[in-house]
Amino acid sequence: MKLFQTLINRRRFLQSSAAVGASAGAVATGITGLKGFSPVSEARAQAPRGETTITKNVCAQCPARCGIDVYTTDGRVHAIYGTSDNPISNGKLCPKGHLGSYFLYDPDRFKGPMKRTNPNKGRDEDPGFVPISWEEALDTVAERLNDLRRRGESHRFSMFYGRGWGSSDAGIQYPFGELYGTPNAAIGHSSMCADGSKKAKQATDGNSSYSSYDYRNANYLLIIGASFLEAFRPYNNVMQMWGHMRTKSPKTRVTTVDVRMSPTMAASDRALYIKPGTDGAFALAIAHVILTEGLWDREFVGDFTNPNRQFVGGRRIPANSFNEKWVHGLADWWNEELLERTPEWAEEITGINAEDIRRTAIEFGSTRPAVALFERGATGHSNGTYNGMAIHSLNALVGSLFAEGGIGYQVAPSYGALPVEVSDYMDDYAKNGAWKDQPRIDMKGTDRWPMVGNMMQECAINHLNADPYTLDTAMFYYTNPIWSAPNPQVWEEALKNVFIIDTSPFPGETAMYADIVLPDCTYLERTQDVPTYPFEGWPMAELRTPAVEPIHDTKMYGDVIIELGKRIDGPMGDYYRELGSVENYIRHLAAGFADDPGDNGVDGFESWKEKGVWYKKPYKWRQIRGEFYEWDGQRYSRQMSAEEVQEHLLKTPSGKFEVRSGFLEEHAAYIEEELGIPRERAGLVQWVAPVYTGGDGDLHFITPKTPLHAEGRGANIPQQMMVHQPIVGGRNTVYLEVHPETAKARGINNGDRVRISSDIGSIEAECRFVASHRPDTLVLPFEYGHWAQGRWAKGRGPGNSSEITANISDPISGLASYYTGKVKLERA
Amino acid sequence: MAKWGMVIDLDKCTGCQACTTACSMENNTLPGETWQDVLYYNAGEYPSGQMKWLPRPCMQCENPSCVHVCPTRATYKDPDAGGIVFVDWNKCIGCKYCMIACPYGVRFYADEKPLIEPDIRDVFPSDNAQLWSPPYQNPEEDWRRGIGIQPKGVVSKCTFCYHKVKHAPEGIADLDEDNPDVKEYVPACVRTCAPKARYFGDLDNPESQVNQLIGDKHGVRLKDHTGNKPQVYYLGAGAGVPAFTPADKENNA
Amino acid sequence: MTAQTHKNALQGPLGWGLLVIAGVVLLVSLGYAISQIMAHGHTSFNTSSVLPWGQPIATYVFFALASSGLGLLAALPLVFGFKQYYPVAKRCIFLAFALLISGMSVLALELGHVFRMLWVIPMNLQVQSAMFWMGLFYALDLIFLLWKFSKLQGGHWDSKTAKQVGIASFIGVLLASGNLALIFGMMSMRPFWFDALMPVYFYITAITSAIAVLLFLTYLAYGFKRERMPSALQALLTGALPKLFATSIGLTLLFILVRAITGLYSNNPEISIVWTDYLFDSGVYIAALLIGLLLPFVVLLSKLRNGIGIQVLAALLVTFAIFAERFYFVVGGQVVPLFKGTWVPNLISYSPSATEWSLTVFGFSLCLVLYLLGEKFLHLGDMPSHIANKSAQPGTAEAAA
Ligand SMILES: Nc1nc2c(c(=O)[nH]1)N[C@H]1C(S)=C(S)[C@@H](COP(=O)(O)OP(=O)(O)OC[C@H]3O[C@@H](n4cnc5c(=O)[nH]c(N)nc54)[C@H](O)[C@@H]3O)O[C@H]1N2
Ligand SMILES: Nc1nc2c(c(=O)[nH]1)N[C@H]1C(S)=C(S)[C@@H](COP(=O)(O)OP(=O)(O)OC[C@H]3O[C@@H](n4cnc5c(=O)[nH]c(N)nc54)[C@H](O)[C@@H]3O)O[C@H]1N2
Ligand code: SF4
Ligand code: SF4
Ligand code: SF4
Ligand code: SF4
Ligand code: SF4
Ligand SMILES: [Mo]
Repeated sequence: MKLFQTLINRRRFLQSSAAVGASAGAVATGITGLKGFSPVSEARAQAPRGETTITKNVCAQCPARCGIDVYTTDGRVHAIYGTSDNPISNGKLCPKGHLGSYFLYDPDRFKGPMKRTNPNKGRDEDPGFVPISWEEALDTVAERLNDLRRRGESHRFSMFYGRGWGSSDAGIQYPFGELYGTPNAAIGHSSMCADGSKKAKQATDGNSSYSSYDYRNANYLLIIGASFLEAFRPYNNVMQMWGHMRTKSPKTRVTTVDVRMSPTMAASDRALYIKPGTDGAFALAIAHVILTEGLWDREFVGDFTNPNRQFVGGRRIPANSFNEKWVHGLADWWNEELLERTPEWAEEITGINAEDIRRTAIEFGSTRPAVALFERGATGHSNGTYNGMAIHSLNALVGSLFAEGGIGYQVAPSYGALPVEVSDYMDDYAKNGAWKDQPRIDMKGTDRWPMVGNMMQECAINHLNADPYTLDTAMFYYTNPIWSAPNPQVWEEALKNVFIIDTSPFPGETAMYADIVLPDCTYLERTQDVPTYPFEGWPMAELRTPAVEPIHDTKMYGDVIIELGKRIDGPMGDYYRELGSVENYIRHLAAGFADDPGDNGVDGFESWKEKGVWYKKPYKWRQIRGEFYEWDGQRYSRQMSAEEVQEHLLKTPSGKFEVRSGFLEEHAAYIEEELGIPRERAGLVQWVAPVYTGGDGDLHFITPKTPLHAEGRGANIPQQMMVHQPIVGGRNTVYLEVHPETAKARGINNGDRVRISSDIGSIEAECRFVASHRPDTLVLPFEYGHWAQGRWAKGRGPGNSSEITANISDPISGLASYYTGKVKLERA
Repeated sequence: MAKWGMVIDLDKCTGCQACTTACSMENNTLPGETWQDVLYYNAGEYPSGQMKWLPRPCMQCENPSCVHVCPTRATYKDPDAGGIVFVDWNKCIGCKYCMIACPYGVRFYADEKPLIEPDIRDVFPSDNAQLWSPPYQNPEEDWRRGIGIQPKGVVSKCTFCYHKVKHAPEGIADLDEDNPDVKEYVPACVRTCAPKARYFGDLDNPESQVNQLIGDKHGVRLKDHTGNKPQVYYLGAGAGVPAFTPADKENNA
Repeated sequence: MTAQTHKNALQGPLGWGLLVIAGVVLLVSLGYAISQIMAHGHTSFNTSSVLPWGQPIATYVFFALASSGLGLLAALPLVFGFKQYYPVAKRCIFLAFALLISGMSVLALELGHVFRMLWVIPMNLQVQSAMFWMGLFYALDLIFLLWKFSKLQGGHWDSKTAKQVGIASFIGVLLASGNLALIFGMMSMRPFWFDALMPVYFYITAITSAIAVLLFLTYLAYGFKRERMPSALQALLTGALPKLFATSIGLTLLFILVRAITGLYSNNPEISIVWTDYLFDSGVYIAALLIGLLLPFVVLLSKLRNGIGIQVLAALLVTFAIFAERFYFVVGGQVVPLFKGTWVPNLISYSPSATEWSLTVFGFSLCLVLYLLGEKFLHLGDMPSHIANKSAQPGTAEAAA
C-alpha cells in the first residue's frame, strides 16, 4: 500500500506543500543570505524518501495479540501503530507495541545458525559459538534425532514452548512428536503462567480456558488478583474498554483487590488490600453476603421452593428446599461451607474490613451485569484453584455467565484442513514403539500430577533425578526456563548435560546453554497464523506478514521444524515434504475461510494478508434471564436444550455451573492426599489455607508484571528501560518496593541495598519506600536479573526473583506458586 | 489557521506510557529523552494510599517563556503552524536558557551523558551530522522545526508531531484518530492512547471537540499561574501537581 | 605624564616562572577540555536536561561579575574622582578585561554552537531576551575596556575622551552585569532566583569578588612586599580599600542573610527547600559563608585589617567564597525538580565532571596568564603622575598608615 502517496494525493498535496513552503519562508525572519554562515551539512530539510508501505502483523510482546500496522520505508521499519480495523487494537497500542522496531534491529540478535565449541556450560562459560550453515545445523540435529530414534530412545527428545502463537509454530510440535515418537514434543509453559484460572474454570463450568468478557456492557467489575491496567489480557484492549467503561452511562464501578498499590488499585473506585493467598476467603464471604442478602440471580441460579425462605448465616437449609437452575450443588455449598463464611470470618483471614467486604458484596450483587475476574494473583498459590473457583462462583451467583456484559469463552476460527494426515505417515515405531510406554518427562497425567495441563517447572529436577528418565536432547521455542522457572538454579545444573537447541533470535540464558542455535525470525519478519486468545468470544484469527525480508540469516521456527522433519528417516520425512513450508501450511488454514468469510470480507490467504485478521461477530450464544439462546443470524432467538448447553457452554458432568465440582470429585483421593481435604468435601468450592513457601521468612514477596515488561525480552530495550518502573521511578533499573515502617524496623533507609532471602537462596536489590503498600509485603517488579539477554540486560538491576522462589505448585492446576513466597529482608 | 490544542482526560488515563513510547519511536528520541513523559505521584499510606499520574507533553504555550528568553530566535512560536513552538536546529546555539525558562521541564539537551549505558548513540553511530542514526529512523526531517534526529549542541522538544499535523485538511475542527481520513495526521501520542484520554483539535474553533470537552469538563491548564497559557488542557481529578518534598523527608514524617 | 613604575616582582624571574606554570596549566586544562568535548561532546559534562546549567556557567558568572566589579572599582577614580583609587585603576581595567575574556572563553566551550552564535544573535535581534542584552552589553563592555585601557596605556588619564569612555564603560558594566542578573532574576518559574533586586545583589557581590581578586594579584605583583609598592598604592591598601572590602563583604553577607531569611520563611518549597536541603546541607556552602565571608569580614573590621597576611588571606578566602556562592546560586536555582514525582524523588543531584572542572581551571589559568603578561609588558601599576608624585618614596607600610 502506497500510504503516503495515497493520503497526500487524496486532497492535500498541493495545498499543504504550498503552505509549508510559505511558512518556512516566514520563519527565516526575512533575512536572506543566512545559509551562507551555517555549515551546509547541518542545514537540513526533508530528504527525498522512498515509498512507505504498511504491512499487517501482530504484536508479539504479550499474549494480547494486537493487530499492528508496520510502516516500512526504503526497506527500514520505522513505525508501528495499531491497526484501525483490528478488533483488538482498534488503532491503539500499549506502551510496548511501538517499541517493536527494537526487536527487529536489536544489535544483540543472533545473526545466523551457530554451534557451540566450549563443551562446558554455566553462567560464566562463554559458549564459544561459531557460525554454521543452515544445512549443517539442520543435518546435525536431524542426525542426532535419527540416532536417538534408532536406539529406541526417542522419548528422550523433548520440545518446550512458551509463547506459542498458533498452529503453524508451537502447534506444529504436536504432530512432530506423534510422528517421531516422543511424549515430550509439546511441553508448554502454561504451568508457569496461568493454568490456575483455567483449572478453576474447568472445575466449575467445564471450560479449561481463560474467559472472554463483554466489558462494553458490564456495569460492575470486581478485579481480584489480576493486573488489569498493567498486564491482564488483552492489555491494550482492556485499556480501551477501561476508557469506555469509565465514561459510559452508567459508569462501570470498579473494586480491586490486590496485595499492593498498583495503577489498577489507584484508578479503581475502591481498593482493597488483601493478605496474599487469601482471595478465596474474600470471595466466599462475598458469596455469603449475596446469598444472605437475597441478591443472587434467581433466573440463573434458581430459588427456594418456598419463596419465603432465606439464607441465614450459620443456619443450614434443607437439602431439597432449593430448586437449582444452572448451578449445581448450591445447597451443599451453603450447608457445608458458606454458612460460616461471614465477612467477619473473612476479615480475620484476609485483613480486609468486614464492612468493606459487605459493601462490596452488596454493590456487586445488586449491580447487573457484574463480572468478577482474576488471574495469577489469586491463583499463584498452593490453594490457587480453590481461590479461583470461589471467585468464579460469584459470576454464577449474579448470572453473568454467557450473559450480556458478562463472561464467556473463545470460539476457534474456521480453519481449513491440512493437506496431510498424521496417521497416514506413522511408521510402526511411531504407532507402537517403546516410547509409547513412557510418561512425559514432566509426569503430567500420572499419579503425580493427574490434573495438570503441563508441568514444565518439574522437568529439570526430574531429569537430574533420572525420574522417570533423563533427557538427551531438548529444543526450546520462545521459553527461557533456565531463568524464569522457579528455582532456576536447578535448571542451570540440569541442562549442563543435555544437548540443547535454542531457537530464540536473542541471546537469552537458555541460549547460553545451547549446543546449536537455530535462530527464529522476529515477528516483523515472519509469516504466522495467530488465532486470538480469549477476547470477546466470537472467532478471530490474525496473520503475521513480514514487513521486511529477514535482516539476518534466520528462519521461521515453523519452517525449521518442517525442514527437520524432512530429514527424519521413514515416512515422517514425506509428511513434511508434503507439507512443504509454513506458508503452504497457512494457505491451507486460510482455505477454511472460503466457506465462512469474515465480517471484513476475508475469505482466503490473500485477503487475510491484506487485512491481517479474519473474524466473525457476534458471539454465538447468549444466556438471557436464565435461558440460553443461539444466534440465528439476526438475533439470539433459538433456545438451546440443556444438552446443547452442556455440549457448548457448561461442559461439566452436570451440565451446570458446579459449586460442587464433579471434576474435582473424580480426583478426590489425590486431593485428600495432597491438600488434606476430606475426600467427600473435595468437590466443594471452599476455603483452603495457603501454604507459604520459602522457609521462615516474615514478609510476603510479590513479583508482578509492569506495563512495559515485554515477556522475556523487555530487559534489553533501552527505550523501555528508561521508563520501566514509574511507581517508584525505576529508570534503567527496578527497585524493591518496601513499606517505610518495614524498612526502618530493619535499619534500612530509602535507597539502601538490601538482601532478600528465602530458604533456596538470596538476591540483592536497591530499595525504595512505598508507603501505600502493605507493610508485610515486598514488591519487586518482574524484569531484571539477567546474566545473558544482551548488552543492556546483562547484569542489570536486582537479582532474579525466581532464584528465591521455591518450586512448589498448586497440586490441582500445577501452577507454580510464584506469589506464595515468604522472605527475609536485611541490609546488604 | 487553526490553533492546535491537546486535551488530556486524567479520569480516563491509565498511566500506561504508550504516549511516551509512541512519541519516542515516532520522533526517534534517545532513551530517556521523553518529550512526552508521564509523571507519577505517591501519597498517603496503606491502606489509604494514593497514586496519581500526569502525562506531560510540551504545552505549546500561547505565551511561551522559552521563546521570550531565546537569544537567537531559534525557538519560536509559529502562528502559521497552529501556534506550535519549534526549535530551529540550524539556529540554536545550545545556551539552554530556554530549558531554564520553561516551567514545564519539557525541553531536552540530548548532548548529555547517556541516561542508560551502553550508550545507544555508540551502538547506532551517526553517519552524518545528527547525534545518532538508528536503523528505524523516521524518514521525516525538518531541522528548521526540530523534526528528525538532532545534531549535537541543540535543544529538542515536542513538535506536536507537526510532520503529521501539517497535512491536516484546512479548517478541520478535530484530528480524531478514529476518523480514517485523518488518522495519519494525528500526533503519535494522541493516536495511540488506548483509553482515549487524549484529544487533539483546533482551540480557535468553538465547535471542536477539544473545546467542548474543556467546556463540559472544566479543563484546566497546568501551572497556570506562570502565565504561559498552555495549549494543552487537563480534565478530571489529578491535574493539581503536588508540591515538592524530597522523598526521604516524606517517608520520615 | 606617567610616573616611574616601581619594582614589579612579576617583571622578573618570578613572573617568568609563574607564567610558565600558568601557561602549562592553561594548556593542559584547555587541551583536556577540548579533547573531551571533541570526543564526547557535552556528554562529558555532568549537566543534564533536568539541570542544564552547571559549573561552567557558574564559572562564567564568577568571571563576568568579577570583571564587572573591577570595572566599577576603576570607575571610582576615573568617573567619580575618588583619587585614592588611581593606583589600581589601570590594573583594574586590565584585570576586568582579562577576567571577561576568561569568562567568555569558558562560556564559549559550554555552548553547543559558539561560532553560530556570532551570526545568529546579531541576525535575529531577539530584544525580549535578557541573554541578548547581556551579550550585547558585555561585548560593549569588552570594547570599552580595551579602549579605555589603550587611553591609560597612552597616559591619557584625564582627557575628555578618556572621561567619556570611562563613563560609557561604567554604564556598560552596570547594564551588562545587571542583565546577567536579570537572566536569573526574571525567571519566575525558578523562584529561588526570582528577585527584583538581583542586579543589586550582583553589583555588590561583583565588587566583593573584584576587590578580592585585585588585592591578591596586586600583592602578587609586588612579591607580597608592601615596601616595594608606590606609596600611593600603600596608602590605598592601608586605607580605603580594606575598608571598602569589609563594607562590600558585609553587604554581601547582609544580602545573603536577607535572601536566606525570606527563603527559609517562604512556604514555597522551590525556595525554602533549596536553602534547607541544598545550601545549608552543604559543608562547602556553609564553609564559604562562615570562613569565606564572615571570618574575613570580622577580621577586616578589626585593627588587623591592614596586615598583609590578613589581606592576602582574606582575598583568597573571599575569592573562594564568591566562587562557591556562584556555584550554589546557579545550581541551587535548578535542584528542585519542576514537578515532584517518582522519576526525581529527591533534589536533582549534580557535581561537576572532570571536563567541567578543567574548564574552571582553564578559566583561572587563562586569567592568570593574561594578567602576568599584562604585568610584564603593560605597566599595570601606572597611575597619573600627580598622584604618583604627591606621595613620598617607597616606605614601610607602617609609615604610610
Ligand atoms: N505488560 C505485560 N502484560 C502481560 C505480560 C507481560 O509480560 N507484560 N504477560 C502476559 C502473561 S504471560 C500473563 S500470564 C498475564 C498475567 O496477568 P496477571 O495475572 O494479571 O499479572 P501478574 O502481574 O502476574 O499478577 C497479577 C496481580 O496479582 C497481584 N497479586 C499477587 N499475589 C496476590 C494475592 O495473593 N492476591 C491478590 N488479590 N493479588 C495478588 C499482583 O500484585 C499483581 O498486581 O499477563 C499477560 N500480560
Ligand atoms: N517472578 C515472576 N516470574 C514469572 C512471572 C511473573 O509475573 N513474576 N510470570 C510468569 C509467566 S505468566 C510466564 S508466561 C513465564 C514466562 O516465562 P518463559 O516461558 O520463560 O517466557 P519468557 O520469559 O517470555 O521467555 C521467552 C524467550 O523467548 C525468546 N524469544 C523472544 N522472541 C522470540 C521469537 O520471536 N522467537 C523465538 N523462538 N523466541 C523468542 C526470548 O529470548 C526468551 O528467551 O514467566 C513466569 N515467571
Ligand atoms: S498489549 Fe501491548 S504488548 Fe501486548 S500485544 Fe498489544 S501492543 Fe503488544
Ligand atoms: S497513552 Fe493515554 S492512557 Fe496511557 S499514559 Fe498516555 S495519556 Fe495516559
Ligand atoms: S511548555 Fe515549555 S517548551 Fe513548551 S512552549 Fe511552554 S515554555 Fe516553551
Ligand atoms: S538553547 Fe537554543 S533554543 Fe534554547 S534559548 Fe538557547 S539558542 Fe534558544
Ligand atoms: S505531540 Fe508528537 S511530539 Fe508531542 S508529545 Fe505527542 S507524540 Fe510527542
Ligand atoms: Mo503467562
